[in-house]
Amino acid sequence: MDVGQMQRQWLDYTRSLFIEGFLDNQFLQLQQLQDENNPEFVVEVVSLFFDDSERLLKDLNFALDQQGVDFKKVDAHVHQLKGSSSSIGAQRVKNACIAFRNFCEEQNVEACLRCLQQVKQEYCLVKNKLETLFRLEQQIVAAGGSIPMMELGF
Amino acid sequence: MATTKFRHVFGGLWGFATSCKKNSSTPIGSRILQRDVEKEEFQYASILCLSKYYSVFVVRLAIMVMLAILIGLLTILTWHFTKIYTTKSLNSLAYDLRYELLQRPILRMWNILNSTSEITMAQVKLSQYVIRSHGNLTTQENQVEMYEAMRAVTWALFASRKALNSITVKYNNGFVQAFHRDLKDNNTFYIYSDLANYSIGASASSYNSDINYSSLSSQESWNDHDNKSAVWYRQPLDPVTGEKIGKAMQIAPEDSIHIAGLSQVPDGVASWRVVVSKFTDSPLLSAALPVWDASNKSIVAVVGVTTALYSVGQLMKELVELHSGHMYLTSLEGYLLATSTDVPLLTNSTKPPKLKMSVDCENEVIRLGAEYLKKSSGNKFPPSHEVHVANVRLGHDRYYIDSFFLNLKRLPMVGVIIIPRKHILGQEDKRAFKTLVILISASMCIIVIGWVCILILTNGVSKEMKLRAELISQLEARRKAEASSNYKSQFLANMSHELRTPMAAIIGLLDILMSDDCLTNEQCATVTQIRKCSTALLRLLNNILDLSKVESGKLVLEDAEFDLGRELEGLVDMFSVQCMNHSVETVLDLSDDMPKLVRGDSARVVQIFANLINNSIKFTPSGHIILRGWFENPNPCSDNANHLMEEKNLQCAQKTRTRQHENHAKRTSKRDNKAILWFEVDDTGCGIDPSKWDSVFESFEQADPSTTRLHGGTGLGLCIVRSLVNKMGGEIKVVKKEGPGTLMRLYLRLDTAGDATEQHCLVDIANNGLVVLLALHGNMGRSITSKWLQKNGVFTMEASEWNGLTQILRELFHTRNSAGINNDFDLHYPIHESLKSKLLSIQEIKNPVFVIAVDIGLLDLSTDIWKEQLNFLHRYVGRAKFIWVLNHDTSNTIKMELRRKGYMMTVNKPLYKAKIVHILEEVVKERNHEMQKKNMDELHESDYTHCDAASSDDSDISESGPCNPVKSEKVEQFHRLSLYRINNCLIGLTDEHSEANNTPKKEELCQNNQNSPKSLSLEQDYFPREAHQGEDSESRGKEEHRIIGGSARPVNGKKSLEGLRILLAEDTPVIQRVATIMLEKMGASVVAVGDGQAAVDALNGLLGVEDFRRDSNLNERNTRSSSSQTEILSFPSYDLVLMDCQMPKMDGYEATKAIRKSEVGSGVHIPIVALTAHAMSCDEAKCLEVGMDAYLTKPIDFKLMESTILSLTRRTIS
Repeated sequence: MDVGQMQRQWLDYTRSLFIEGFLDNQFLQLQQLQDENNPEFVVEVVSLFFDDSERLLKDLNFALDQQGVDFKKVDAHVHQLKGSSSSIGAQRVKNACIAFRNFCEEQNVEACLRCLQQVKQEYCLVKNKLETLFRLEQQIVAAGGSIPMMELGF
Repeated sequence: MATTKFRHVFGGLWGFATSCKKNSSTPIGSRILQRDVEKEEFQYASILCLSKYYSVFVVRLAIMVMLAILIGLLTILTWHFTKIYTTKSLNSLAYDLRYELLQRPILRMWNILNSTSEITMAQVKLSQYVIRSHGNLTTQENQVEMYEAMRAVTWALFASRKALNSITVKYNNGFVQAFHRDLKDNNTFYIYSDLANYSIGASASSYNSDINYSSLSSQESWNDHDNKSAVWYRQPLDPVTGEKIGKAMQIAPEDSIHIAGLSQVPDGVASWRVVVSKFTDSPLLSAALPVWDASNKSIVAVVGVTTALYSVGQLMKELVELHSGHMYLTSLEGYLLATSTDVPLLTNSTKPPKLKMSVDCENEVIRLGAEYLKKSSGNKFPPSHEVHVANVRLGHDRYYIDSFFLNLKRLPMVGVIIIPRKHILGQEDKRAFKTLVILISASMCIIVIGWVCILILTNGVSKEMKLRAELISQLEARRKAEASSNYKSQFLANMSHELRTPMAAIIGLLDILMSDDCLTNEQCATVTQIRKCSTALLRLLNNILDLSKVESGKLVLEDAEFDLGRELEGLVDMFSVQCMNHSVETVLDLSDDMPKLVRGDSARVVQIFANLINNSIKFTPSGHIILRGWFENPNPCSDNANHLMEEKNLQCAQKTRTRQHENHAKRTSKRDNKAILWFEVDDTGCGIDPSKWDSVFESFEQADPSTTRLHGGTGLGLCIVRSLVNKMGGEIKVVKKEGPGTLMRLYLRLDTAGDATEQHCLVDIANNGLVVLLALHGNMGRSITSKWLQKNGVFTMEASEWNGLTQILRELFHTRNSAGINNDFDLHYPIHESLKSKLLSIQEIKNPVFVIAVDIGLLDLSTDIWKEQLNFLHRYVGRAKFIWVLNHDTSNTIKMELRRKGYMMTVNKPLYKAKIVHILEEVVKERNHEMQKKNMDELHESDYTHCDAASSDDSDISESGPCNPVKSEKVEQFHRLSLYRINNCLIGLTDEHSEANNTPKKEELCQNNQNSPKSLSLEQDYFPREAHQGEDSESRGKEEHRIIGGSARPVNGKKSLEGLRILLAEDTPVIQRVATIMLEKMGASVVAVGDGQAAVDALNGLLGVEDFRRDSNLNERNTRSSSSQTEILSFPSYDLVLMDCQMPKMDGYEATKAIRKSEVGSGVHIPIVALTAHAMSCDEAKCLEVGMDAYLTKPIDFKLMESTILSLTRRTIS
């Protein structure tokens, strides 16, 4: 596979991520922040996000399994998750978090559990997608090409 | 009825109880059930209300019953007392009356008895005397003589007493002498026995010889006489004289009267009897007394006197006639002696007549009364037994019955009086009944009325209860409505964020697309169109959001100092561009006393006027739009106020009408030290129908809905304006104006900063002999400017078109130079008198400086005539200063031409005060300079150009240098400033005649400036997008292609945040990392900490080791800032803090509070910028409240963060 094709593939893939709403403008900003000083910036941040999110999801699982659910704590966790997901532009995770928080306010355990599942699902999806994206990037870089600049709309 | 009501009450109570039970049994804490709980609460309230209603009903009933009882008692008592006392007194009176009544016949009776007894006694004494005087009755003659004497004496006595029925004298020899009155026939008779039959002697002898025997025998003989029918004669007498008038006739024994005999005085004492005779209807009272002989041993005769009881009956009749009723006297045995009626007292059936018993009386009443008495007290009246009965029913009527016992020794009698009760108490009884009826009916009335009153009163109470219940339900409804409206605004506010983000993205992407040069023209046009539409949509969104923000009370007005005049000037400048197409004149007319600096939310103030002016422009096809403003001193002394008022009157006569409003506003604003600023937006558009003056301020309301098609708009603008004005403590309304158009008047209450009414001192332009010729197109703006200048001591003249201008010019200069040359010209253009007088007064001014402001619109631009005109004017260039008022669309050729001719002072429309002041100041300064120069060095007649007459920060006045017209205004400003400096340096070097040489020089300078790195960096930092849009960005486009996408990365030169030390407090590692990189990209050095406590510690120089490590890690990666690491270590002070709001340990709010607390006293104020995921303005308010300076929302926007940080750090640095 030549570099140009890979680059096109990468572009198409990224575009599809935007169109399907997995990512938003914030991710573009992240990419723009990446430069020669921080060549691995996006990957770094995203992996930070993965670590953070997995920890938070674990905490959330634990918190919601408890007999008397501490909704304040759950809310704080979700808030954090929302903040980090919005910071990397994981839009669907963020939206799920927003819904989650609403149910948190209502102190609805069932709905919260449902939301947690949804957030997990979204998280897994975006994780897979991003990992695929990074793999593509690595392939491009390995083939000696450069990552094309995102100039697309969504 | 009452029971059913009670049942209702109990039903209500029961329902209440069960609902309570239900309430308590419902598990709380479930959110879904909340609505049910609310409903139950509501039911509870209504049940409570119902039970209250029923309790009110019960109370009402109780009050009514109590009232009835009370009034009943009162009635009974009243009746009782009136009755009892009257009856008692009446009874006692009646008793007295009865007693009195009865007493009188008894007294009469007594009298009769007395008189009878007296007569008897007298007869006895006389008889005794006569008998004694004829002591020896030996002879017949003596005896006859004695009888004769006796007869005479007896007659005398008899005649003296008319009431006497008879007097009888019976001698012991059986001789009888008697006088008798027949009351029926009114005859008087003398009755005597046959004298021949009796021998006196014999009887006397016998009498004398044996007293006992004789007495016995005489007794016997008397008895014999009685028994045997002796021969008696009756001789009628003359009742008066006693003369015998008829023959004596022998009378039959049945016709004889009762003659008292010895038998009646068996014991020799007086005796009393009641007898009857056939001659009278009434019973007779007879008394008998014996006549003793001289020795007092034997009875010689018995004297009997009978008296009729008729007179007693008569008296009784009289009495009864007077008093009604009945009276009767009975003997002890019950025989009637006298009655008040005419009924016979004697039985006619038997012979001789006998006395009747009272119970046999023919008079019914008396009979019944007697029967009653007999029944009540038996046959026998006990001695001294009296009966007083008040209420006896006899027959059909009621009577009083009283009996009195008259105890005579031999004749005990009983008097009875029967008086009909009617007579005494009849009225009383009747009245009593009536009174009772009246009382009862009155009390019934009172009860009924009282009940009605109570009903009405309690009805009021129950109505109140009902109303209260309604109120409760309405409050409930209102609460719900408010909640829903709150949801609405919350929804809007939330939605807005969601809507704005994609809108921002759309616009951003469109910008990118537009900057792409591979688009065809058509595409480019389409994209531009889309861009415009998006902007419009965003504006609409912002409007809606503003509205909902204001309505939900979440709009927090900024409180910062700003230059109101400058803002408004900028606004007018902006709109004047828009107005050009409409041939509408935009005029700003602010009074001189307006405070220069006010405190408030400048953006919102500008928004108010922008909306208003925008509106006016929309509906004004031609004419003018004036924005007037004046200041009202909140606490003026009277003189000052009057002065101000006069000024205002001068300026605008209409304003006097607002005086009342002002006064009102003055009162309200007296307390707080706020200034009241009045504004008017006056246009000559289509106007608003007066009926819609109020409604135009409502949401989605347009004066004429059909205009939507023409002008567009949603009708939100004025609503927002009103909301904002109200929010600033002001009011807005449409005011009537003369002529077409709309006049909106509003006032704002703003804090004035420091010296509230700082007068723009015009000392240096006044009294300098300035003569300003305003040759301006717009009437309104010209006249306002002219008036204002005149007020400030500047002489003005006006011209509205080219011919006028030329005329004035000729007049001015030609008459001055050579008077009277242009007489022929005058014939063509006759000068107005006013102009003439002006010219005359100008001639008096010493050393005048002429300033001519020429509207470029006066020149004929359609053809090439304008060049000729320009040349014509150029002739006066030495004698007057020309100021060229340009339009925004004035073509470059004209500008070039002007510049070529050396006109340096050009100004863009609209011409407002600040610009004029600036220009005139320049003129004056220039002239002073010139004068100095002239004085100093006559040889160096050097003129210099002054290129800048800028007044406001916006570039309205284009300078003479060749400047790129598409460049952003700020850049222009910068250029201008630098040029200004340079030009100042050049003063003296430039020659009057070397204009051509001058221009390229400036161009060069300009180029230099443009290429200097500093200016470039500034330009790009501020306005990257504009830069890319601009033409000159094309040249740079290739080398800076990485910039496209919106990031403002410096290519060469300094980074925007170079040298800033920023403390980042953020717990989420992802955001921390992103923010760090962003900031570092801008050149700042960042220290990141994980929570609020760490941030506070870091600021206090207690930077945690952990954070240090992280920081150093970051710095290691960032090789460029390795040098700054040491800096951070050695100087743990920061220029700015970025603070996440929600963090573990200590959240952003707490941390900020702690930081601000520690800063107290030190005079340091470190800017803190909040980072929060909440996008609501209340969070913003909270952030600002705890002491943060600004507010950024997550996800962090690169540019926004940059500009925020810059503005904050700039402020602290400066």
